[in-house]
Amino acid sequence: MTDFSYSPPTTSDKLRWAFQDTATITWRDMVRTSRQPEMLTFAVIMGMFFLLLFNYVFGGAIGAGTGVDYIQYLVPGVFVITALQGAQQTSTGLAQDLSEGVISRFRSLPMNQVAVIAGRTVADAARNIIGVLLVAGVGYLMGFRFTSLGGAIAALALTIGIGYSFSWLGAAIAAKLRNPEMVGMLSMFWLFPLMMASSAFTPTATMPKWLKAFADNQPISVASDAVRALVDGRPAGSDSLFAVVWIVVLLAIFIPLTTRLYRKV
Amino acid sequence: MRTFAKGTPVIVAEGLHKSYGDTQAVIDLSFEARAGSVFALLGPNGAGKTTTINMLTTLLPIDRGRASVAGFDLTGQPEAVREVIGLAGQAAAVDEKLTARENLEMFGRLYKLPRTERRARVEELIERFRMTDYADRTVGTYSGGQHRRLDVVASLIANPLALFLDEPTTGLDPRSRTELWEEIRGLADAGTAVVLTTQYLEEADRLADYILIMDEGRAVATGTARELKDDLKRDVLEVHFASEGDLARATEVLKGHVGEYGVAARTVTIPVPGGSASSLGLLRRIEDAGIPVVDFHYRRPTLDDVFLTHTYSVTA
Repeated sequence: MTDFSYSPPTTSDKLRWAFQDTATITWRDMVRTSRQPEMLTFAVIMGMFFLLLFNYVFGGAIGAGTGVDYIQYLVPGVFVITALQGAQQTSTGLAQDLSEGVISRFRSLPMNQVAVIAGRTVADAARNIIGVLLVAGVGYLMGFRFTSLGGAIAALALTIGIGYSFSWLGAAIAAKLRNPEMVGMLSMFWLFPLMMASSAFTPTATMPKWLKAFADNQPISVASDAVRALVDGRPAGSDSLFAVVWIVVLLAIFIPLTTRLYRKV
Repeated sequence: MRTFAKGTPVIVAEGLHKSYGDTQAVIDLSFEARAGSVFALLGPNGAGKTTTINMLTTLLPIDRGRASVAGFDLTGQPEAVREVIGLAGQAAAVDEKLTARENLEMFGRLYKLPRTERRARVEELIERFRMTDYADRTVGTYSGGQHRRLDVVASLIANPLALFLDEPTTGLDPRSRTELWEEIRGLADAGTAVVLTTQYLEEADRLADYILIMDEGRAVATGTARELKDDLKRDVLEVHFASEGDLARATEVLKGHVGEYGVAARTVTIPVPGGSASSLGLLRRIEDAGIPVVDFHYRRPTLDDVFLTHTYSVTA
């Protein structure tokens, strides 16, 4: 038998592959997204829907009750919610992916296997940037204003960061269930409480004590408060730090968990 | 370019076992597939063909037994195995939202082919497999034949030494199937070791140099198409009737005089070890019973007969 020189990849090879493969899959998912713009449209329409509903239907009451400039309060919350919707789309999109034959081919290739998921989360983060910017544009028409460019960039970065960490939560669910319909249904159960029992749409001051304790500390509220402070040019140090801690914690839990669930056949 | 000399065993399986819970999907399966030839795993649905392919392509862990591809152990060096194999067919599809060119480009990148080599390879494959007309349309718009062809082509991007095709022609119209056969034959002739699974006897007969018939996880017969047919050592008589009633009456008449026989679509198929003389005897009995015969054929066994003999007990 002819001998083939095969040198097993070194650690640095593997690391380089991980990045290359993630970039390749990111490219693939971005091309796919561009060919089915419904996903992006849906996220943006949801964002606008929240803006219109909360600003014009509830806004008067909330603004009068709390004395805040409501559109300025609402838009940062909707940024975070839009990024969260994007994370939910990671979940359904990945479940769809996992139910298709192309995944078997990926598994038979000499590539970094986790890149299939990592690439999708990166592509979804890119889509989230567009979604959040579109929501900001609609907010602008409704009277919302950034106070500084630096604040705007930091706010956007934090929004995408929290969305990205939730993408891995969504990916874990998809890797476990692998069924797009089930993943779609299940997402209501984690998405809705996080969205509603939060400071994204309304201040938490009037909530019952037990709910307020949850609402004040859960990642969506923490991120909303931090983004709001950054947008308004208020000192945002402690809120931002808390939000970054949440991002790190979520990633530390869900990246290894997703990897394990995905590798299990 | 890396190749093995023709006839070198490239894929070697020794005593493979795989179970899912209590179900034994593959039982003590051993075979060798050689460079420059097509090896067919032939069997009905659920025979364990896809499970076998999945084990040999690192998609499924092997429960017991050993297997290697190009000298690399499946269990010990799966990364090395992935470098030298290509997988296509039912199990491994392409991305439907991308074009053929984009799919090939993506797989080339995942194999870490350097950019210039990759570009050239993609163009070469598109041209060689006559895909130019539709290479820039998304795969979702393809016909079944175009889609399958891309499946196979996508597995060729890194010049695999061993090519695994899981039911590559299932669902294809006859013309696309014949075309794909020619292409698979061409790949084997160029030195690739091809393992394919199929439910189609004709496919194994036309394409395979070596056939392994699987049923319920086991190898029930192996050999070349010629050897398998010769093993039957008996010719076959087929008698066609005008109605199911005539058929039923004829089988009553024959029952005492033949061992096993098969019945389908107003036709009785009888293996006749005694050659043409005993066939005449059987036909005479039918005639004497006054049952009209529409037509009859006396023929050499086909792979169909081999397959049915080994996978079902009643038929011949």
